[in-house]
Amino acid sequence: MNPLRHTFISRCLDTTPPSTNPLPEELRYLDIGCGGGIFAESAARLRTTASVTAIDPTPDVLAIAEGHKRRDPALMTKGKLTYLNTSIEELPVPGSEAEKFDVVTLFEVLEHVNAPGPFLESVISNVKPGGWLVLSTIARTWTSWMVTNVVAEDVLGIVPKGTHEWQKYVNEGELREWFAEKGGWGGNGGVKAMGVVYVPGLGWKEIPGGEAWGNYFFGVRRDG
Amino acid sequence: MPPRLQLNALAAFPPLPIVRLRVQFQRRLASSSTPDIYDVVCVGGGPAGLSLLTGLRNSKITSNLKVALVDGQDLQKNRLRKDASLESFSNRCSSLTPASVKNLQEIGAWSHAAQARIQPYQEMQVWDGISGARISFDWDSARPILSPRSPTQPTTIAYMIENINITSTLLSRLEELGGVHIFSSQNVSSIALGTEAPDVDLSSWPVLTLSSGKQLAARLLVGADGANSPVRTFAGIPSRGFDYSRHGLVATLKLAGPGWGGPDHKIAYQRFLPTGPIAMLPLPGNVASLVWSTTPERAAKLKALPESDFVAMVNAGFRLSATDLEFLHTMSSGQEEEVAWREQHTSLDTHTIPQKVTAVQSGTVASFPLKLRHADTYTGERVALVGDAAHTIHPLAGQGLNQGQGDAAALVRTISRAVQTGQDIGSVLALESYNSERYAENNAMLGICDKLHRLYSVESGPVVGLRTWGLKAVDAVGPLKGFFMNRAAGGV
Ligand SMILES: Cc1cc2nc3c(=O)[nH]c(=O)nc-3n(C[C@H](O)[C@H](O)[C@H](O)COP(=O)(O)OP(=O)(O)OC[C@H]3O[C@@H](n4cnc5c(N)ncnc54)[C@H](O)[C@@H]3O)c2cc1C
Ligand SMILES: C[S@@+](CC[C@H](N)C(=O)[O-])C[C@H]1O[C@@H](n2cnc3c(N)ncnc32)[C@H](O)[C@@H]1O
Repeated sequence: MNPLRHTFISRCLDTTPPSTNPLPEELRYLDIGCGGGIFAESAARLRTTASVTAIDPTPDVLAIAEGHKRRDPALMTKGKLTYLNTSIEELPVPGSEAEKFDVVTLFEVLEHVNAPGPFLESVISNVKPGGWLVLSTIARTWTSWMVTNVVAEDVLGIVPKGTHEWQKYVNEGELREWFAEKGGWGGNGGVKAMGVVYVPGLGWKEIPGGEAWGNYFFGVRRDG
Repeated sequence: MPPRLQLNALAAFPPLPIVRLRVQFQRRLASSSTPDIYDVVCVGGGPAGLSLLTGLRNSKITSNLKVALVDGQDLQKNRLRKDASLESFSNRCSSLTPASVKNLQEIGAWSHAAQARIQPYQEMQVWDGISGARISFDWDSARPILSPRSPTQPTTIAYMIENINITSTLLSRLEELGGVHIFSSQNVSSIALGTEAPDVDLSSWPVLTLSSGKQLAARLLVGADGANSPVRTFAGIPSRGFDYSRHGLVATLKLAGPGWGGPDHKIAYQRFLPTGPIAMLPLPGNVASLVWSTTPERAAKLKALPESDFVAMVNAGFRLSATDLEFLHTMSSGQEEEVAWREQHTSLDTHTIPQKVTAVQSGTVASFPLKLRHADTYTGERVALVGDAAHTIHPLAGQGLNQGQGDAAALVRTISRAVQTGQDIGSVLALESYNSERYAENNAMLGICDKLHRLYSVESGPVVGLRTWGLKAVDAVGPLKGFFMNRAAGGV
């Protein structure tokens, strides 16, 4: 899954329309709900990354992330990768637009959240004008119900039973609508989606149109 | 009466003896002094290791990795001299496929090669020493029936080059690119896992201690350290296979002329004898390189002969019958006269066999035991194997060195992909694609060459008929030859 996240982010960044606020050569990332830090570490290793701030409110997973980070001296450079034990709601909003982040990521978090609207409000207050919010989640459809409750949890055993509550899933169309109503987001081609599916033996693969019925990536750019 | 061999005996060879190399796990901790930290440490500056490092330095994506090269030998001393004479050639030569050459071009190395010492060849004559069945390969006869050869179609099957020319070429390119920390004339004395300190935890990182006492920690440790790979031993990766009880006898030969096709149409020859193939591969001018796979006893015998008798035996190897050859090997002396006499009684189409050998370059007759070895896997946690460290092959198809070049190029691709997606290039997950890309391909090649060896070791019975039929059939069908040649040429 992780390499696909970079594929999708590059796709978003590469199509950024010409703007008055071009993003810098080296990007600042905020990874929300970083878990064990798989994505945060990989983002910090990229040549085009200035820094990664990764947050998670669960102390246990953050301890794992910190422990794993120490195994790579390249990540120990001060300011490269910073873990903070906090929820996004409690993270202080940056004081100025310039202090906000170029790329805000939210992978496999949205489906666990009770009130997606207010939650997304806290998330997007960290995105710089011209910056991107990139997330991955799973659509609320009959296919995903089957996959989550029967295949992933029972048959494949990929995730522990009871990890997901299907009712909480957010559909791609709902996200598009939410940002359209909000205004100031996704103008000029700044909305992207990519469906992915888990193929046993092959791993995660992109599947055109898959955003309508299963796991998908969603990227939206803040105008400016 | 000749021994009868069942047709199905081909598929029913006795199970191969499995050689399990004794592997020591050196998972103890390295001493506590802080090692220098590298992204890639490559042990072995042979053709495979140098090609890997050149590929990494040449690409924008991987050029900011911190890389080191360690070799026990003095890499500067083992370089081809600029003023080396075209009268003498090393006895260790390889047949580089167009695919390998293309890769060397892509990494900017090929233009550094001593071109005058490289001999492309356009035709291959292969025949069966027992039945005489013959197959000839050239791109002209391999074209689809009735279609003219397109002017852009390659005419070169492969390029004969001295191994020292390959390594010198790669070293020149590496010097041009710069940025490699080279530890030359320094043996790896031990490899162990690093230690856990409060600030960094190197307990999953291999730490090498060199004979100079220097310590290097490797995010990714590459074993390009040859058949007895210390890196493979450290990683606990078993290597299995068997010995052919054959030796490869090599020599640099002087011929009566530049070959039947003249200097612009060079021909490689290979004759299958029951003891193994004898091959003569063209070098520039009137020079050729000999690779004769034979029994250790015969190899010892040949090496001990005076020059004139040795020359006569090589000529006999391409001309006389297996029975004649057997007898000649039992003679204590006088092979030259005996061969001359027997040749008069053998009818030969001289243009289908190599020109006569007239002399052998002094000090070039050598032999080495032939083995087939294949590591169980090419990757482990923070370890990857390339070249002979991963596999050694029967020299029959001249694929050994080319496989190493293919490995190096594939590992560069895998590392590039990992860098682009921010993966730890030493993690098993990141290295997986290298293993899956190369393992099956090399295994197939090891299998093909091994089966050919076995097929041609049979002297009589239905198998001889079968392989004669096979060679004749392939020879008659142009497009099918194209397929085989593509395989030999590395799929270009
Ligand atoms: C005696 C012999 C003769 C051969 N003749 C021919 C031939 O005529 N034609 C042909 O095509 N092929 C020949 N081969 C095979 C050919 O040499 C190999 O296929 C090819 O060289 C493999 O390249 P490599 O880079 O994988 O390993 P190698 O060329 O074996 O390079 C390994 C390197 O690792 C270094 N090394 C090993 N251990 C350590 C250590 N502990 N510390 C530091 N450095 C270390 C060595 O110094 C060496 O430079 C021959 C092989 C042998 C052994
Ligand atoms: C399924 S995990 C995903 C982890 C990681 N992003 C990944 O994909 O591997 C969801 C994570 O979101 C975190 N999380 C839940 N609510 C959050 C919130 N309000 N703010 C930040 N993180 C939250 C949880 O602690 C949990 O570690």
